[in-house]
Amino acid sequence: MLEQNGVRMAAVSYDSREILQAFAEKYGIGFPLLSDRDSAVIRSFGIFNTNIAPALRAWGVPHPVDYLVAPDGTVTRKYFVPNYQHRVTASTIALREFGNAGQDAAAVTLRSGALTVEIGLAAAEAFAGQEIGFFARFRVEPGWHVYSSTAITFDDPKIVRQSFELPGDSALLGGSFQCLGSLLLKFPVDAGRTALSGKLSFQQCGNTVCEPPETIPFKLPLTVEPFLVATPKK
Amino acid sequence: MNHEPPNDLEEKAAIMREFLRRRAAGEPVSDELYAQHVNATNDRYATGPATGQRIPDFALPDQSGALRSLGNLTGPNGLLLVFHRSADW
Repeated sequence: MLEQNGVRMAAVSYDSREILQAFAEKYGIGFPLLSDRDSAVIRSFGIFNTNIAPALRAWGVPHPVDYLVAPDGTVTRKYFVPNYQHRVTASTIALREFGNAGQDAAAVTLRSGALTVEIGLAAAEAFAGQEIGFFARFRVEPGWHVYSSTAITFDDPKIVRQSFELPGDSALLGGSFQCLGSLLLKFPVDAGRTALSGKLSFQQCGNTVCEPPETIPFKLPLTVEPFLVATPKK
Repeated sequence: MNHEPPNDLEEKAAIMREFLRRRAAGEPVSDELYAQHVNATNDRYATGPATGQRIPDFALPDQSGALRSLGNLTGPNGLLLVFHRSADW
């Protein structure tokens, strides 16, 4: 997903080159794994984890930060997920930065009066503890609008944190516009096929009439991957 | 339940050791211990250069031993640089 958007990936850890080489071969990793043996680069970024006692083998690790940087080194966006074992999905980054959702990701289309909304997930699969993006593409017929109180919320026990952003600060929204949000999945959570329950709430008004506020529930299928999924390449 | 991260490194280390011991032994990790572990690990976390700032220059060997820096890592639209714990454990 990132590669086709012209973004490459690299990972930094304090492991030796030999360990990284063995890891890359075992799991068939094609992107560069960089060896910061004395954590010097981790320190220069200011993300050395000072909570780790020197006696622990984890001493020297960074806080788990992902940087999306422009070719000139300017930070475009940062991702920090409190659970160090899981990261924002690459597909979520591709959705947020480039507007592309995964091809097999779930989406639903909701219609009411002058409003049509397509809501979809960034990817078809995610790990427990991972952040997954979603989009909502609104289309409001001419002469109608919705308000900035328009919201998409997920009332699902599998989701521990969520966000949803409307474009801009306008009180009235009409025409076609896209919103992005994100969902942090609970950890641990049972693996397997599931569906995330959410609801769209809005009020639509025309030039002469307002409909009552509405709430439309929906479900988006998602496959939750088990905790340990890395499998050695044959 | 107290989910405030402890200030003391040794106290944090005790939580981390117990968490890792249970993980390694295949014993269940309670939500409480899990939260303590995450809080101890993330206490006063820092996320480094801000959006819009430049990252520090770096040059590190990759898994094949080649020296890599931003210039030979980035794609035409940028680089996702992931800092993680370890590939070893």
